[in-house]
Amino acid sequence: MALPRASPEPHVRAIPSAWTHTDGGSMLHEAQEALETYKKKDSNKVVVRFKAVGNAPIMKQNFYKITASNRFQAVIQFLRKELGWKQGDPLFTYINLAFSPAPDDTVANLFKSFSTEGHLIVNYSTTAAWG
Amino acid sequence: MSTYAPRHSPSAFSTPASTTLFRRLTWEGTVPLEIRVDPKELPANSDRGLECYYLQAPRVSYLPLLVPEIKRYLLDVVFDENAARVVKEEDWWFESEEGNLLKWHWPIGLIYDNHTISQSTRPNAMPSVFTPLRLVLHLVSPPTEKLLLSPSAEACKQAFMGQLKEADFIRWGNTKRMTGLRKAEQDGLWEGIKEHNFDEYWRVASKITPTTVPTRSNSPPPPPSSTSLHTRPPSADPGSSGGNSGPDRDSAASVRNVPVRIYLPDGPILQDLVPPVLDDGTMHTLAAFLTARLPLLFPPPDAGKPNLAYAIIQGVVAPPDAEMAWLGACMAGADGWVNVCVGLLREGMRYP
Repeated sequence: MALPRASPEPHVRAIPSAWTHTDGGSMLHEAQEALETYKKKDSNKVVVRFKAVGNAPIMKQNFYKITASNRFQAVIQFLRKELGWKQGDPLFTYINLAFSPAPDDTVANLFKSFSTEGHLIVNYSTTAAWG
Repeated sequence: MSTYAPRHSPSAFSTPASTTLFRRLTWEGTVPLEIRVDPKELPANSDRGLECYYLQAPRVSYLPLLVPEIKRYLLDVVFDENAARVVKEEDWWFESEEGNLLKWHWPIGLIYDNHTISQSTRPNAMPSVFTPLRLVLHLVSPPTEKLLLSPSAEACKQAFMGQLKEADFIRWGNTKRMTGLRKAEQDGLWEGIKEHNFDEYWRVASKITPTTVPTRSNSPPPPPSSTSLHTRPPSADPGSSGGNSGPDRDSAASVRNVPVRIYLPDGPILQDLVPPVLDDGTMHTLAAFLTARLPLLFPPPDAGKPNLAYAIIQGVVAPPDAEMAWLGACMAGADGWVNVCVGLLREGMRYP
């Protein structure tokens, strides 16, 4: 399937001329402005509730307000710090006792899809539980 | 067949032919990649001028799964024996030509489409839809913090399984279909991707992915005759109604929500609950979804303004009247997610 070497004979296909315009014009400008409004970061905070699973230590405080635009990775790092976990100590995190989200997903997205009674429930375990 | 006796309903056996066709088209999609070793990191005595590798990669595959093939080429052709001994693939990582870090756990088709829409915002960029995506391969100093995952195929598999379960949860409100699979079946999904084997993957995936058979009791009225059939996805299969012995709960229209993410150029990624049927009983379409979520880019029809953006799914400019349920059943990636990549239109372009 792989080609061993470059043969940069571009596959010439008929591209509609409209698609090869190099100047985006006013339309692109308008689209860029519209796009900017969707790029604004969600500065709202949402409640994340941590729940230990199995042998994982229980936290004294388990409700936290976390900025919605944070990535889930930030939640994991926060949790590791709260637990005093060292680098390399195993920690598995799940939503709703069901799945591990992608670390680059935002808290806002997860909250919108999976919150229960106004909380995003994050389960944590020292062993793979629903892997 | 008994090895694969489904624990839930046998949706595998009532999948309409058109659904299988679109699933196969999605599965067989490949993208051209040019992989160039960062010239600054090329080991001494490498055969310069050959440090570029070209391949057609399956859209459903992942970068860690390409590494063995790339490594074989570099060892055979580019590196000398000394370099071959010291090079460590655990330290490898990829960047786009523009310097964007490429994530290990993103499907390759998504990386490609995401690059396409990112180019759409550059005023002077030529749309490079038909050229290979140029990737830079770094051999040292991976920015581990930003890559989020280790580059191993095993870590990638875990992330993939996580995505499948998340999609399952979005569809049904639980992950019973995924957890109901045997270990060998779950592994079969990943093997199917590794081997790019449609049958191996779908033998298992059809147990967790809804079919396009419309619900019998609750199905929306047929579209008015003015709707031209050839532009409408064949979400209702006339031939399938007779053999529809499976329960309605496995139909694409009876899921709670369709697993969908919108990718905007250079971020962010938006995830919403996307029901297959709207409150008024009509099927939820891509046009309705985009207008509801991104009204400035996709103005409502009565606003009399043209769209300022377009949507691609699996590399294809997606028809706005495609039904979300149909997209979920036919155009989702192997991880169960429909990735809608939104690019900006420029003068002279139109969508639809």
